[in-house]
Amino acid sequence: KKMTNDNLNKLLVFCVLFCAQKTSIVHGAQALETKVALLLHAEPENPKCFAEGMSDLTCFWEEDEERAGSADQYSFIYTYQNENSSECSITALPAAGGKRLYFCRLSQTQLFVPLDIRVFRDDLLIHNRSLFIEAVFLLDPPANLTLTSTGMQGQLKASWLPPSLKYMGDSMMYEVSYAMAGSHIGKVEEVQASSELILRGLQSGTKYKVRIRVKLDGISYSGYWSAWTDPVLMETMPGDLDPLIVSLSLIISLVLTLLSLLVLMSHRRFLLKKIWPIIPTPESKFQGLFKVYGGDFQEWLGHSTGGLWLRPTYFYSEEFPVPLEVLSEVSLGPALPSSALPPKASEALGEEEDEDKKLKRVDPALMEGWRKTPQEHWTMDQLRAIHQHPAPWTQSSLLESHDAYVTLNAQNHSVEEPLDDILEETLPLQVLFASGRTSSESRSDLGSVQQSSGSGRLSSQSSFEYPNHTWPSKGPGYTYMAVADSGVSMDYSPMSSNKIDDIGKGVIYTNEYKNEIPAHRRPIGTPIHFAF
Amino acid sequence: MSSISGLVAVLLTVLQWAGRGLPSPVRPICDPRVLDRFIMEARDTETALRGCKAGCGVTGTFVVPLTNVDFVVLETKDTEEQALEVQSGLFLFGQALGAVRESVSRAAVKSLIDNNKSNIHSLGQVLRSLHIKDLSLSPVPAVGDSATRKVSSLSELLRVHTNFLRGKVRLLLTNAPACQQNST
Repeated sequence: KKMTNDNLNKLLVFCVLFCAQKTSIVHGAQALETKVALLLHAEPENPKCFAEGMSDLTCFWEEDEERAGSADQYSFIYTYQNENSSECSITALPAAGGKRLYFCRLSQTQLFVPLDIRVFRDDLLIHNRSLFIEAVFLLDPPANLTLTSTGMQGQLKASWLPPSLKYMGDSMMYEVSYAMAGSHIGKVEEVQASSELILRGLQSGTKYKVRIRVKLDGISYSGYWSAWTDPVLMETMPGDLDPLIVSLSLIISLVLTLLSLLVLMSHRRFLLKKIWPIIPTPESKFQGLFKVYGGDFQEWLGHSTGGLWLRPTYFYSEEFPVPLEVLSEVSLGPALPSSALPPKASEALGEEEDEDKKLKRVDPALMEGWRKTPQEHWTMDQLRAIHQHPAPWTQSSLLESHDAYVTLNAQNHSVEEPLDDILEETLPLQVLFASGRTSSESRSDLGSVQQSSGSGRLSSQSSFEYPNHTWPSKGPGYTYMAVADSGVSMDYSPMSSNKIDDIGKGVIYTNEYKNEIPAHRRPIGTPIHFAF
Repeated sequence: MSSISGLVAVLLTVLQWAGRGLPSPVRPICDPRVLDRFIMEARDTETALRGCKAGCGVTGTFVVPLTNVDFVVLETKDTEEQALEVQSGLFLFGQALGAVRESVSRAAVKSLIDNNKSNIHSLGQVLRSLHIKDLSLSPVPAVGDSATRKVSSLSELLRVHTNFLRGKVRLLLTNAPACQQNST
């Protein structure tokens, strides 16, 4: 039993070794077959010889089956330079296509010396060749061809194991062929003395087929191109979004968004109207109608002073056409050297025109004349003249002239009481002059003035203001014109007969009003609308 | 002619002596492309003068070294032995090319020969850089006559010269210990 066991073990080992050898033999046979095929194609001379390693040489030739003889009929004689000849044993092998191959293999060779080969068949020379063994290298293709990703788009890294030949590592030249899987059109790249190569310019997300072959560079050693390795497939990295395209599309969308926003903003009112229509309301035309009187139109009309006062100027002016006329009458006094007056003022005063037109002309004219301080001298004289001749200054004229004041103070007094107002309104001016003189003569007459002084009349306020303060008297040469209203109209203040003396002294106060109503005196809510 | 050649020989000897006196380069020249260039130039010279009629007018025999390389045998040889072979061979080639230059009349041929001669001289410097003793100038046949043979034509001389460079010289440079340390 022991014997059988041992025998079995030996048999098993033998079988394993044999099988392994067979595999290698099969592999070797396959390699030889490809090499033979290659050389039959590439080498025209006979015998075809190639070296696989550093110390070997394989030569063969082909003959048709019909004419082929047995191996012993042939003799292979080789001679190194300056050496004796030697013979190589021949082996015959069948080949495809009705051919026969005769092989000779040398296991120890000399390089860098010429080698003469002669093949005899039955003492007949059939082949003759001289070669350098270092020039006929035919290597095995590189092993372990692997493809890896470099981590970058469109790239693949090919790496392989160079043929293990001593002294020849730096003489090797490789050719890498790569193509898209399924395509026959490929590219080739050469690389020297390296064991890896980065393939660039590949398409993303595509499968590529890569193969490689090797050859000696030809300076010291040369030979034939080896067979191609089996192709290796690898897919490149999937394509990323081109950053340029992404950024461009972002910019375009941003620009479009901005444009749409601009359009929306420019037409927002229109859009709002469409989406949220504004309900029209007449409140703007009837101020206070809704807020104060709760929509009661009659009541609103009843409080017409306030309402009238609040009406726009043009409307207001229609109600009171008279004052202008009065003004003109006053100024047309005979003692009035009209020529000396400012032409515009005289024009305004002396002409009897429609109130509207006059109003319009008066305002700017009077304003102008009022402002023109350089003309104070003759104005002063004129006014003195006027004062010295108080005859024209009748009460009626005064009264009439007071209508202008009525206008101004209409805010607190009803229109139906113009006369009362007139009288009262004249008083402020009297007080004005009275204060300047500090005489109490008129004060008794003006007893009621004090009461009215507290009224919130715009113009009177200002005139009341100033009596207690020094007027901005610029000297005797200046003429102060008390203005009845907000300062638009120029009023020659010495209307009061009582104060002619004062006026004559040149105490004429200009209402340097300019809408300077003291804040505390000004009634709240009263718009600064000086109707005329 | 002889006076000129003598002068040239003296000059070369002086230069080489001066060159020998110089300290060897510190950095070893291990780049195989250096020798590759010499090999290619020798091959080009061989190709160019192959079609020379009547051997370009060159007569006489030249002693040349053997160029055969047996890798199995090479494994058994050490660097010094290889270096000796190489240097003696270079010496012989120098001598032969010098003699050829004398007998050649055409200027183009002369320039080619000169180029190869300078290459041989450069190779001596390369060997020196690898800390290999330069024995190329020594006329002593370091390896006996068995290591040499005779050629009788310029084309064969050039062919042997090329083979020598490609084989033995290159293997020596590849196997030089100084280069082995750098390359690995």
